[in-house]
Amino acid sequence: MAELANLIEATSTYFCLDCGVCTGSCPVARVFPQFSPRQIIERSLYGIEDFSDESIWDCLTCAQCSVRCPVNIDFPEFVRLFRDEAHGRGYSGVPTHNGMLQSIWAIQTMDIQQNRTFWVQEGKVAEKGDIFYFVGCRPYFDVIFRDIDAGSIKGAQNVLKILNACGIEPVVSNDERCCGHDALWNGDEETFKRLASINLEIIKASGAKKVVFSCPEGYLIFKRFYPKYFGDLGFEPVHILDFLAEQLKEGALEFKEYEGVVTYHDPCRLGRMAGIYDPPRELIMAIPGIEFREMTRARENGVCCGTSGWINCSGYSKEIQVERLSEAAATGAGALITACPKCQIHFRCAKAASDLEVDIIDLYDLFSANLNISQ
Amino acid sequence: MFKVAQELIGILGIDQRRLRLEWVSSSEGARFAEVVTGFTEQIKELGPCGLKQAA
Ligand code: SF4
Ligand code: SF4
Repeated sequence: MAELANLIEATSTYFCLDCGVCTGSCPVARVFPQFSPRQIIERSLYGIEDFSDESIWDCLTCAQCSVRCPVNIDFPEFVRLFRDEAHGRGYSGVPTHNGMLQSIWAIQTMDIQQNRTFWVQEGKVAEKGDIFYFVGCRPYFDVIFRDIDAGSIKGAQNVLKILNACGIEPVVSNDERCCGHDALWNGDEETFKRLASINLEIIKASGAKKVVFSCPEGYLIFKRFYPKYFGDLGFEPVHILDFLAEQLKEGALEFKEYEGVVTYHDPCRLGRMAGIYDPPRELIMAIPGIEFREMTRARENGVCCGTSGWINCSGYSKEIQVERLSEAAATGAGALITACPKCQIHFRCAKAASDLEVDIIDLYDLFSANLNISQ
Repeated sequence: MFKVAQELIGILGIDQRRLRLEWVSSSEGARFAEVVTGFTEQIKELGPCGLKQAA
Protein backbone atom coordinates (compact mmCIF):
# COMPACT_ATOMS: atom_id res chain seq x y z
CA MET A 1 0.00 0.00 0.00
CA ALA A 2 1.71 3.14 -1.22
CA GLU A 3 -0.02 5.41 1.31
CA LEU A 4 1.22 3.30 4.16
CA ALA A 5 4.74 3.47 2.78
CA ASN A 6 4.46 7.28 2.59
CA LEU A 7 3.37 7.40 6.18
CA ILE A 8 6.30 5.30 7.28
CA GLU A 9 8.63 7.48 5.28
CA ALA A 10 7.17 10.72 6.66
CA THR A 11 7.61 9.64 10.27
CA SER A 12 10.72 7.44 9.86
CA THR A 13 9.00 4.59 11.64
CA TYR A 14 11.36 2.17 9.89
CA PHE A 15 13.84 3.03 12.64
CA CYS A 16 11.62 1.18 15.12
CA LEU A 17 13.62 -1.24 17.28
CA ASP A 18 10.58 -3.20 18.33
CA CYS A 19 11.57 -2.51 21.93
CA GLY A 20 8.06 -1.96 23.25
CA VAL A 21 8.90 1.13 25.29
CA CYS A 22 5.96 2.90 23.64
CA THR A 23 3.40 0.27 24.63
CA GLY A 24 4.97 -0.02 28.06
CA SER A 25 4.58 3.76 28.53
CA CYS A 26 1.12 4.10 27.03
CA PRO A 27 -1.72 4.98 29.42
CA VAL A 28 -4.29 3.37 27.12
CA ALA A 29 -2.34 0.10 26.86
CA ARG A 30 -2.16 -0.08 30.63
CA VAL A 31 -5.92 -0.20 31.02
CA PHE A 32 -6.70 -1.77 27.63
CA PRO A 33 -3.94 -4.28 26.84
CA GLN A 34 -5.22 -5.04 23.31
CA PHE A 35 -4.06 -1.57 22.32
CA SER A 36 -0.42 -1.48 21.33
CA PRO A 37 1.42 1.32 19.50
CA ARG A 38 4.33 -1.07 18.96
CA GLN A 39 2.09 -3.54 17.18
CA ILE A 40 0.50 -0.83 15.05
CA ILE A 41 3.98 0.18 13.92
CA GLU A 42 5.07 -3.41 13.35
CA ARG A 43 1.96 -4.21 11.33
CA SER A 44 2.58 -1.08 9.26
CA LEU A 45 6.21 -2.02 8.63
CA TYR A 46 5.18 -5.50 7.52
CA GLY A 47 2.56 -3.95 5.23
CA ILE A 48 -0.29 -5.77 6.93
CA GLU A 49 -1.85 -2.79 8.67
CA ASP A 50 -5.15 -1.62 7.24
CA PHE A 51 -6.72 1.83 7.27
CA SER A 52 -9.88 0.26 8.67
CA ASP A 53 -8.03 -0.57 11.92
CA GLU A 54 -10.24 0.83 14.66
CA SER A 55 -7.54 0.87 17.30
CA ILE A 56 -5.89 3.88 15.66
CA TRP A 57 -8.74 6.01 17.06
CA ASP A 58 -8.07 4.84 20.63
CA CYS A 59 -4.72 6.64 20.79
CA LEU A 60 -4.86 9.81 22.90
CA THR A 61 -2.04 11.35 20.85
CA CYS A 62 -0.57 12.29 24.22
CA ALA A 63 3.08 11.76 23.22
CA GLN A 64 3.97 9.76 26.30
CA CYS A 65 5.38 7.09 23.99
CA SER A 66 7.26 9.43 21.68
CA VAL A 67 9.15 11.29 24.41
CA ARG A 68 10.53 7.94 25.55
CA CYS A 69 11.08 6.23 22.20
CA PRO A 70 14.83 5.56 21.90
CA VAL A 71 14.79 6.40 18.19
CA ASN A 72 12.45 9.41 18.46
CA ILE A 73 9.54 8.06 16.49
CA ASP A 74 6.75 10.62 16.60
CA PHE A 75 3.87 8.21 17.07
CA PRO A 76 1.19 10.91 17.56
CA GLU A 77 2.19 12.36 14.19
CA PHE A 78 2.06 8.88 12.68
CA VAL A 79 -1.46 8.52 14.10
CA ARG A 80 -2.49 11.92 12.76
CA LEU A 81 -1.34 11.08 9.24
CA PHE A 82 -2.84 7.60 9.47
CA ARG A 83 -6.20 9.08 10.54
CA ASP A 84 -6.07 11.58 7.72
CA GLU A 85 -5.71 8.75 5.21
CA ALA A 86 -8.35 6.64 7.00
CA HIS A 87 -10.74 9.62 7.10
CA GLY A 88 -10.37 9.99 3.35
CA ARG A 89 -11.53 6.37 3.03
CA GLY A 90 -14.60 6.97 5.14
CA TYR A 91 -13.36 5.77 8.51
CA SER A 92 -13.57 7.74 11.71
CA GLY A 93 -13.41 7.43 15.46
CA VAL A 94 -16.52 7.23 17.60
CA PRO A 95 -17.53 10.84 18.24
CA THR A 96 -18.36 11.68 21.85
CA HIS A 97 -21.56 13.59 22.72
CA ASN A 98 -23.25 12.31 19.54
CA GLY A 99 -20.90 14.30 17.35
CA MET A 100 -22.07 17.65 18.76
CA LEU A 101 -18.55 19.08 18.84
CA GLN A 102 -17.80 17.89 15.30
CA SER A 103 -21.00 19.61 14.11
CA ILE A 104 -20.08 22.82 15.90
CA TRP A 105 -16.70 23.08 14.24
CA ALA A 106 -18.15 22.08 10.86
CA ILE A 107 -20.70 24.92 11.08
CA GLN A 108 -17.85 27.28 11.90
CA THR A 109 -16.38 26.70 8.44
CA MET A 110 -19.48 28.51 7.16
CA ASP A 111 -20.13 32.17 6.67
CA ILE A 112 -21.83 32.81 10.03
CA GLN A 113 -22.35 35.69 12.45
CA GLN A 114 -21.59 34.22 15.85
CA ASN A 115 -22.51 35.54 19.27
CA ARG A 116 -19.48 34.10 21.03
CA THR A 117 -18.30 37.15 22.92
CA PHE A 118 -21.37 37.29 25.19
CA TRP A 119 -19.07 36.56 28.14
CA VAL A 120 -17.15 39.84 27.91
CA GLN A 121 -19.00 41.71 30.60
CA GLU A 122 -16.57 43.44 32.90
CA GLY A 123 -13.23 43.27 31.14
CA LYS A 124 -11.81 45.71 28.66
CA VAL A 125 -11.37 44.57 25.07
CA ALA A 126 -10.53 46.30 21.82
CA GLU A 127 -11.66 46.05 18.19
CA LYS A 128 -8.16 46.44 16.83
CA GLY A 129 -4.77 46.36 18.44
CA ASP A 130 -1.38 44.72 18.80
CA ILE A 131 -2.56 41.86 20.99
CA PHE A 132 -5.29 39.41 20.14
CA TYR A 133 -6.67 37.07 22.77
CA PHE A 134 -7.64 33.81 21.06
CA VAL A 135 -10.34 32.53 23.40
CA GLY A 136 -10.94 29.14 21.79
CA CYS A 137 -14.02 27.01 22.27
CA ARG A 138 -14.77 27.99 25.86
CA PRO A 139 -18.10 29.72 25.00
CA TYR A 140 -19.39 26.46 23.49
CA PHE A 141 -17.94 24.22 26.20
CA ASP A 142 -19.58 26.34 28.85
CA VAL A 143 -23.03 25.52 27.45
CA ILE A 144 -22.38 21.87 26.62
CA PHE A 145 -20.78 21.00 29.94
CA ARG A 146 -22.90 23.08 32.25
CA ASP A 147 -24.22 19.94 33.95
CA ILE A 148 -20.75 19.06 35.21
CA ASP A 149 -20.06 22.65 36.15
CA ALA A 150 -17.23 23.02 33.64
CA GLY A 151 -17.00 26.75 34.30
CA SER A 152 -15.34 27.29 30.93
CA ILE A 153 -16.47 30.88 30.55
CA LYS A 154 -15.34 31.86 34.00
CA GLY A 155 -11.85 30.82 32.85
CA ALA A 156 -12.02 33.15 29.83
CA GLN A 157 -13.30 36.01 32.00
CA ASN A 158 -10.43 35.46 34.39
CA VAL A 159 -7.83 35.37 31.62
CA LEU A 160 -9.18 38.72 30.45
CA LYS A 161 -9.06 40.07 33.98
CA ILE A 162 -5.41 39.00 34.27
CA LEU A 163 -4.52 40.55 30.90
CA ASN A 164 -6.28 43.78 31.87
CA ALA A 165 -4.39 43.78 35.17
CA CYS A 166 -1.17 43.59 33.15
CA GLY A 167 -2.30 46.66 31.23
CA ILE A 168 -3.42 44.81 28.13
CA GLU A 169 -6.73 45.41 26.40
CA PRO A 170 -6.73 42.61 23.87
CA VAL A 171 -8.77 42.19 20.72
CA VAL A 172 -11.49 39.60 21.28
CA SER A 173 -13.34 38.66 18.12
CA ASN A 174 -16.87 37.47 17.54
CA ASP A 175 -15.66 35.99 14.26
CA GLU A 176 -13.00 33.76 15.76
CA ARG A 177 -13.38 30.12 14.76
CA CYS A 178 -12.41 26.82 16.34
CA CYS A 179 -8.63 26.56 15.91
CA GLY A 180 -9.05 23.25 14.07
CA HIS A 181 -6.96 21.22 16.48
CA ASP A 182 -9.57 18.54 16.90
CA ALA A 183 -10.50 18.40 13.23
CA LEU A 184 -6.83 17.88 12.44
CA TRP A 185 -6.46 15.09 14.99
CA ASN A 186 -9.72 13.56 13.78
CA GLY A 187 -8.04 13.15 10.39
CA ASP A 188 -10.14 15.94 8.82
CA GLU A 189 -7.46 18.11 7.27
CA GLU A 190 -9.89 19.87 4.92
CA THR A 191 -11.97 21.22 7.79
CA PHE A 192 -8.83 22.17 9.69
CA LYS A 193 -7.59 24.21 6.74
CA ARG A 194 -10.91 26.00 6.32
CA LEU A 195 -11.06 26.97 10.00
CA ALA A 196 -7.43 28.02 10.04
CA SER A 197 -7.69 30.25 7.00
CA ILE A 198 -10.70 32.10 8.45
CA ASN A 199 -8.82 32.62 11.73
CA LEU A 200 -5.77 33.92 9.92
CA GLU A 201 -7.88 36.42 8.00
CA ILE A 202 -9.59 37.67 11.13
CA ILE A 203 -6.33 38.10 13.01
CA LYS A 204 -4.77 39.87 10.07
CA ALA A 205 -7.71 42.28 9.92
CA SER A 206 -7.28 43.06 13.62
CA GLY A 207 -3.73 44.25 13.03
CA ALA A 208 -2.43 42.09 15.89
CA LYS A 209 1.27 41.33 16.15
CA LYS A 210 0.89 38.88 18.99
CA VAL A 211 -1.83 36.34 19.61
CA VAL A 212 -2.19 35.21 23.20
CA PHE A 213 -3.57 31.79 24.05
CA SER A 214 -4.67 30.26 27.31
CA CYS A 215 -5.71 27.02 25.61
CA PRO A 216 -2.76 24.64 25.11
CA GLU A 217 -4.29 23.10 21.99
CA GLY A 218 -4.90 26.45 20.32
CA TYR A 219 -1.36 27.52 21.08
CA LEU A 220 0.18 24.31 19.77
CA ILE A 221 -1.83 24.33 16.60
CA PHE A 222 -1.00 27.98 15.80
CA LYS A 223 2.62 27.53 16.72
CA ARG A 224 3.37 24.27 15.02
CA PHE A 225 0.69 23.45 12.46
CA TYR A 226 -0.52 26.77 11.03
CA PRO A 227 2.99 27.64 9.75
CA LYS A 228 3.29 24.15 8.31
CA TYR A 229 0.21 24.70 6.15
CA PHE A 230 0.24 28.49 5.68
CA GLY A 231 3.88 29.58 6.00
CA ASP A 232 4.74 32.78 7.83
CA LEU A 233 1.77 33.91 9.92
CA GLY A 234 2.74 37.55 10.25
CA PHE A 235 2.21 37.48 14.01
CA GLU A 236 3.65 35.67 16.99
CA PRO A 237 1.64 33.07 18.93
CA VAL A 238 2.32 33.51 22.65
CA HIS A 239 1.20 31.27 25.45
CA ILE A 240 -0.09 33.34 28.34
CA LEU A 241 1.95 31.30 30.84
CA ASP A 242 5.20 32.33 29.14
CA PHE A 243 3.99 35.91 29.17
CA LEU A 244 2.94 35.80 32.84
CA ALA A 245 6.18 34.13 33.91
CA GLU A 246 7.99 37.06 32.29
CA GLN A 247 5.75 39.53 34.10
CA LEU A 248 6.48 37.74 37.35
CA LYS A 249 10.23 38.02 36.79
CA GLU A 250 9.87 41.72 36.12
CA GLY A 251 7.96 42.12 39.37
CA ALA A 252 4.78 43.17 37.61
CA LEU A 253 2.66 40.44 39.20
CA GLU A 254 1.80 40.15 42.82
CA PHE A 255 -0.37 37.55 44.50
CA LYS A 256 -2.36 37.47 47.72
CA GLU A 257 -2.14 34.72 50.35
CA TYR A 258 -3.67 31.38 49.53
CA GLU A 259 -3.93 28.77 52.19
CA GLY A 260 -3.83 25.24 50.92
CA VAL A 261 -1.98 22.40 49.28
CA VAL A 262 -2.22 22.05 45.51
CA THR A 263 -0.82 19.89 42.76
CA TYR A 264 -0.61 20.54 39.02
CA HIS A 265 -1.57 18.46 35.99
CA ASP A 266 0.57 19.00 32.85
CA PRO A 267 -1.65 19.09 29.75
CA CYS A 268 0.04 17.05 27.00
CA ARG A 269 -0.18 19.88 24.43
CA LEU A 270 1.38 22.34 26.85
CA GLY A 271 3.99 20.06 28.40
CA ARG A 272 5.30 17.32 26.16
CA MET A 273 4.30 19.04 22.93
CA ALA A 274 5.17 22.69 23.67
CA GLY A 275 7.74 22.22 26.43
CA ILE A 276 6.02 24.63 28.84
CA TYR A 277 6.68 22.98 32.22
CA ASP A 278 8.27 25.62 34.44
CA PRO A 279 6.11 28.75 33.96
CA PRO A 280 2.93 27.29 35.55
CA ARG A 281 4.97 25.96 38.48
CA GLU A 282 6.83 29.24 38.99
CA LEU A 283 3.57 31.16 38.95
CA ILE A 284 1.77 28.80 41.34
CA MET A 285 4.70 28.88 43.74
CA ALA A 286 4.74 32.67 43.63
CA ILE A 287 1.43 32.70 45.48
CA PRO A 288 2.33 33.26 49.12
CA GLY A 289 1.23 30.55 51.51
CA ILE A 290 0.51 28.00 48.82
CA GLU A 291 2.05 24.58 49.25
CA PHE A 292 2.84 22.92 45.95
CA ARG A 293 3.31 19.16 45.69
CA GLU A 294 4.21 17.22 42.56
CA MET A 295 2.44 14.04 41.60
CA THR A 296 4.62 11.02 40.90
CA ARG A 297 3.92 11.32 37.20
CA ALA A 298 4.72 14.95 36.41
CA ARG A 299 6.28 17.02 33.65
CA GLU A 300 7.46 14.70 30.80
CA ASN A 301 5.77 11.82 32.60
CA GLY A 302 2.49 13.58 33.32
CA VAL A 303 -0.25 11.22 32.29
CA CYS A 304 -2.92 12.34 29.81
CA CYS A 305 -6.42 13.38 30.97
CA GLY A 306 -7.84 10.32 29.26
CA THR A 307 -9.54 11.43 26.07
CA SER A 308 -8.79 13.76 23.19
CA GLY A 309 -10.32 15.22 20.04
CA TRP A 310 -13.86 14.38 21.20
CA ILE A 311 -13.61 10.81 19.99
CA ASN A 312 -13.45 7.39 21.62
CA CYS A 313 -14.14 8.38 25.20
CA SER A 314 -14.74 5.09 26.97
CA GLY A 315 -14.61 3.27 30.27
CA TYR A 316 -10.85 3.22 29.73
CA SER A 317 -10.81 7.01 29.67
CA LYS A 318 -12.69 7.06 32.96
CA GLU A 319 -10.22 4.60 34.45
CA ILE A 320 -7.28 6.80 33.43
CA GLN A 321 -9.02 9.90 34.80
CA VAL A 322 -10.04 8.40 38.14
CA GLU A 323 -6.55 7.01 38.58
CA ARG A 324 -5.11 10.46 37.89
CA LEU A 325 -7.46 12.09 40.39
CA SER A 326 -6.47 9.50 43.01
CA GLU A 327 -2.83 10.29 42.27
CA ALA A 328 -3.57 13.96 42.89
CA ALA A 329 -5.41 13.18 46.12
CA ALA A 330 -2.55 10.93 47.26
CA THR A 331 -0.17 13.91 47.33
CA GLY A 332 -2.35 15.33 50.11
CA ALA A 333 -3.38 18.23 47.87
CA GLY A 334 -6.84 19.62 48.29
CA ALA A 335 -6.89 20.80 44.69
CA LEU A 336 -5.69 19.66 41.31
CA ILE A 337 -4.77 22.65 39.16
CA THR A 338 -5.41 22.27 35.44
CA ALA A 339 -4.21 24.56 32.67
CA CYS A 340 -6.42 23.28 29.86
CA PRO A 341 -10.18 23.78 29.54
CA LYS A 342 -10.55 20.22 28.27
CA CYS A 343 -8.52 18.58 31.04
CA GLN A 344 -10.80 20.48 33.39
CA ILE A 345 -13.94 19.14 31.69
CA HIS A 346 -12.63 15.57 31.60
CA PHE A 347 -11.59 15.58 35.23
CA ARG A 348 -14.78 17.22 36.42
CA CYS A 349 -16.75 14.62 34.48
CA ALA A 350 -14.76 11.78 36.08
CA LYS A 351 -15.04 13.37 39.50
CA ALA A 352 -18.81 13.58 39.18
CA ALA A 353 -18.84 9.79 38.82
CA SER A 354 -16.48 9.08 41.72
CA ASP A 355 -16.32 9.87 45.41
CA LEU A 356 -12.89 11.49 45.31
CA GLU A 357 -12.44 14.55 47.48
CA VAL A 358 -9.96 16.55 45.42
CA ASP A 359 -11.13 19.86 43.89
CA ILE A 360 -10.35 20.67 40.28
CA ILE A 361 -9.34 24.29 39.79
CA ASP A 362 -8.54 26.15 36.60
CA LEU A 363 -5.12 27.78 36.80
CA TYR A 364 -6.50 31.13 35.63
CA ASP A 365 -9.30 31.04 38.18
CA LEU A 366 -6.64 30.55 40.85
CA PHE A 367 -4.43 33.37 39.53
CA SER A 368 -7.30 35.76 39.10
CA ALA A 369 -8.73 35.11 42.58
CA ASN A 370 -5.31 35.73 44.13
CA LEU A 371 -4.09 38.58 42.01
CA ASN A 372 -3.15 41.80 43.79
CA ILE A 373 -4.24 44.41 41.33
CA SER A 374 -2.17 47.49 41.98
CA GLN A 375 -2.81 49.51 38.82
CA MET B 1 -30.47 18.55 25.76
CA PHE B 2 -32.88 20.62 23.69
CA LYS B 3 -32.05 23.74 25.66
CA VAL B 4 -28.34 23.07 25.12
CA ALA B 5 -28.82 22.66 21.37
CA GLN B 6 -30.87 25.85 21.22
CA GLU B 7 -28.27 27.83 23.11
CA LEU B 8 -25.50 26.46 20.91
CA ILE B 9 -27.17 27.39 17.65
CA GLY B 10 -27.72 30.83 19.18
CA ILE B 11 -23.97 31.24 19.69
CA LEU B 12 -23.37 29.93 16.19
CA GLY B 13 -25.62 32.68 14.91
CA ILE B 14 -28.46 30.47 13.68
CA ASP B 15 -31.97 31.73 14.42
CA GLN B 16 -33.23 29.83 17.47
CA ARG B 17 -36.73 29.68 16.02
CA ARG B 18 -35.41 27.13 13.54
CA LEU B 19 -35.23 24.53 16.26
CA ARG B 20 -38.26 23.22 18.05
CA LEU B 21 -39.09 20.29 20.28
CA GLU B 22 -42.65 19.14 20.81
CA TRP B 23 -43.98 15.90 22.18
CA VAL B 24 -47.04 14.54 20.41
CA SER B 25 -48.59 11.22 21.29
CA SER B 26 -49.61 8.77 18.57
CA SER B 27 -53.26 9.37 19.40
CA GLU B 28 -53.06 13.10 18.72
CA GLY B 29 -53.19 13.15 14.92
CA ALA B 30 -54.77 16.57 14.71
CA ARG B 31 -52.23 18.08 17.06
CA PHE B 32 -49.36 16.53 15.11
CA ALA B 33 -50.65 18.13 11.91
CA GLU B 34 -51.04 21.45 13.67
CA VAL B 35 -47.51 21.40 15.10
CA VAL B 36 -45.88 20.40 11.84
CA THR B 37 -47.87 22.91 9.81
CA GLY B 38 -47.12 25.65 12.30
CA PHE B 39 -43.41 24.89 12.28
CA THR B 40 -43.29 24.63 8.49
CA GLU B 41 -44.95 28.01 8.21
CA GLN B 42 -42.53 29.52 10.65
CA ILE B 43 -39.55 28.19 8.72
CA LYS B 44 -41.00 29.46 5.45
CA GLU B 45 -41.40 32.85 7.03
CA LEU B 46 -37.80 32.85 8.19
CA GLY B 47 -36.68 31.98 4.68
CA PRO B 48 -33.52 30.10 3.70
CA CYS B 49 -31.05 29.53 6.51
CA GLY B 50 -28.28 31.07 4.43
CA LEU B 51 -25.51 28.87 5.74
CA LYS B 52 -22.87 28.78 3.08
CA GLN B 53 -19.22 27.94 2.95
CA ALA B 54 -17.06 30.86 3.98
CA ALA B 55 -14.97 32.13 1.08
S1 SF4 C 1 9.41 2.86 21.61
FE1 SF4 C 1 10.04 3.49 19.54
S2 SF4 C 1 11.54 1.96 18.93
FE2 SF4 C 1 10.47 1.08 20.70
S3 SF4 C 1 8.79 -0.15 19.79
FE3 SF4 C 1 7.96 1.88 20.22
S4 SF4 C 1 8.22 3.01 18.30
FE4 SF4 C 1 9.56 1.22 18.19
S1 SF4 D 1 0.33 8.90 22.02
FE1 SF4 D 1 -0.26 8.35 24.14
S2 SF4 D 1 -2.13 7.11 23.87
FE2 SF4 D 1 -1.13 7.19 21.86
S3 SF4 D 1 0.14 5.38 21.80
FE3 SF4 D 1 1.44 7.05 22.55
S4 SF4 D 1 1.31 6.90 24.79
FE4 SF4 D 1 -0.38 5.69 23.94
